[in-house]
Amino acid sequence: MQCKHPGPALVATLQEKIAQLEGGRQQCDDRPISSGCPALDRLLPGGGFRRGTLVEWLSAVEGGGTATLAMLAAREACQGGGTLIVVDRRREFYPPAAVRLGISLERLLVVQVASAADQNWALDQALRCPAVAAVLAWPEELDGRTFRRLQLAAEKGGSLGLLLRSEAARREPTWAEVRLRVVPLPGRHHDSNRRRLKIEVLRSPGKINHGSLEVEFDDETRDVHLVPPGTAAGSRRRAGA
Amino acid sequence: MCIWFRQGPRQEVAVGQGPDCDERDNGQTVFRTATQRCRPHAAIDGRVLEELAVECEQFSPVVAVEPSPEPQCLLLDITGVAHLFGGEASLAEKVVRHFARRQWQVRLAIANTMGAAWAVAHYGDTWTIVPPTETIAALSPLPIEALRLPKKTVDLLHELGVYQVEQVAALPREQVSSRLGPELLRRWDQAVGRLAEPIPGPTPPPEFEVAWSADYPTGRRDILESVLDRLIHRLGRQLQQNGRGALKLECRLECLAGQAVPMTVGLFEPSESADYLLGLVLMPWERLRLPSPVTAIHVAATVTAPLVLRQQEMFFLGSGSADHHRRYLAMLVDRLSARLGPDAVLRARLLPDAQPERSWRYDPLVNRPARRRRFSSSSDTLAPRPLRLLRRPVPLQGAVGSAVPGYWVLQGQMHQVFDVWGPERIETGWWRGTTIGRDYYRVETTTGSQFWIFRRLRDQRWFLHGMFE
Repeated sequence: MQCKHPGPALVATLQEKIAQLEGGRQQCDDRPISSGCPALDRLLPGGGFRRGTLVEWLSAVEGGGTATLAMLAAREACQGGGTLIVVDRRREFYPPAAVRLGISLERLLVVQVASAADQNWALDQALRCPAVAAVLAWPEELDGRTFRRLQLAAEKGGSLGLLLRSEAARREPTWAEVRLRVVPLPGRHHDSNRRRLKIEVLRSPGKINHGSLEVEFDDETRDVHLVPPGTAAGSRRRAGA
Repeated sequence: MCIWFRQGPRQEVAVGQGPDCDERDNGQTVFRTATQRCRPHAAIDGRVLEELAVECEQFSPVVAVEPSPEPQCLLLDITGVAHLFGGEASLAEKVVRHFARRQWQVRLAIANTMGAAWAVAHYGDTWTIVPPTETIAALSPLPIEALRLPKKTVDLLHELGVYQVEQVAALPREQVSSRLGPELLRRWDQAVGRLAEPIPGPTPPPEFEVAWSADYPTGRRDILESVLDRLIHRLGRQLQQNGRGALKLECRLECLAGQAVPMTVGLFEPSESADYLLGLVLMPWERLRLPSPVTAIHVAATVTAPLVLRQQEMFFLGSGSADHHRRYLAMLVDRLSARLGPDAVLRARLLPDAQPERSWRYDPLVNRPARRRRFSSSSDTLAPRPLRLLRRPVPLQGAVGSAVPGYWVLQGQMHQVFDVWGPERIETGWWRGTTIGRDYYRVETTTGSQFWIFRRLRDQRWFLHGMFE
């Protein structure tokens, strides 16, 4: 028995319906926030992240470039004039690196917290504030209730919550509208300014088959673009020896 | 230096045909606009001058409002600071230009004494610099009003036919005091520098403090909360009457066993709203443990500032204009600081230091009466840096020598180096006495992680300093 392939129009309608069922929340600003990477935007329904939602970024490894991508999304979210709040529990956030990625220090506030409870509270407060465009944090443990509360706070304040977590969080349920996993790809770039990363969309509204894509982050131009298909591993260089 | 604020910026207040709309201002006709707006100048009073004094702190550390019942001038002690601005003339020009941009018409004078500067600012050109040896010469042609004399003395001198300062100088000293009062001599001596007249320090703002003492010591939190409520409302009224808002509130709860429990709240922008202040105080209060029943409570606004922002207006719903955003943000900062501590909410500032750990600093946002920060965030001049910088570089065990280590083990995890870029040499800190010499490398491991490691030039040891997260 053969199933007829549904038309793209029907798929789009159904996706919209699913999104409505899943979301059903009021929005303050319908324009999507670009992720900073046009190719990823195309993969997300609505063409980017929505204000008033959470985005979870899972890192496969330490130093894997996830925060860089999240920071680019934060930069896009702040385009309209809002503030970026970084909740820094480890106290290892390095502002000069954020400046290099195009974050204006005038629009950046860093909140240092001592405990997970304080961190979650600060996150909640920041997400709730209408003057805040994006909040970025590294919450490791997030129980379901706290997570839900943060999602409601983001919805109320209309801000974009960027939560950077380790791979271990993948097994946990999420209240984030979009969940991404970032895997760095070693040895496929030509110089230190370019870095290849694989972004897997693990969850996005109204979609069952999520894609993944290979992107290249250019430190010089500070943008992310799709790796052209067919480019093989670049030349390797070993210095200092 | 004396700065005389002659006219404030024009403010649009009403729509209508004001009779003074066609007045000639600085030789230029002010044309009526199509909307016929009448724009009077901003009033100059003590409070406005206090705000302007804060602006002037960029030019001199000692700034004061002139000691007068109707002040119109600011006095700046520029001893030893003029060279920082390229000389006195250049400093004067910068001040005039600074205020011209804000549409303030000012006149200023630089002289050896406060009296002479005041005199020349009022009766000289737009801006005048009196050389140190020519104080008397500069004062001589000015009218006697330039000596800051009471009107009575001026009238008396006019009756005597004395109109110019040089005529005063010619009067016999011994007779002046007995016939014209001591004020004339005092002012004259102050103007020429025979009598010291220091620039007054900033007037201390009034103190705001309220207290309550218990008939019976109590540990009941509901009672204490209502006491706090009453105290803060009283404090709010005091603040309101003085047109000031609190930037820092200090509460002290004295307990039966003798110890005092402090509770401090800092604010991002001054507020006199009791409900708002109470809300902030109740945040640390909720986490506070009382060792024994409370006998007394003191609440003081230890840092205050002129109220420029009406907190009541903060409670509104609606559009996202920049002003509204600012207020929402101020509320957020206050709440975060109240619970997490005054040093928890920070703004970063880049510093011109090559050493990565010293190339920026954090400034807390609350308790700061005057914040004027320049943001140097030109991202193009910065070298690539990791988003995560370890608070202290971590030594890589066993890695010694000039060659980049092939692997290292940290927290039981092996990191095998796959690719290396560098070095970026950073040599700095010699003026601090601790010379820093490091060769930084960006390395990529076989898993694709990128780390920032360096070799200490002094002993060829290797350290991990950051992650390109």
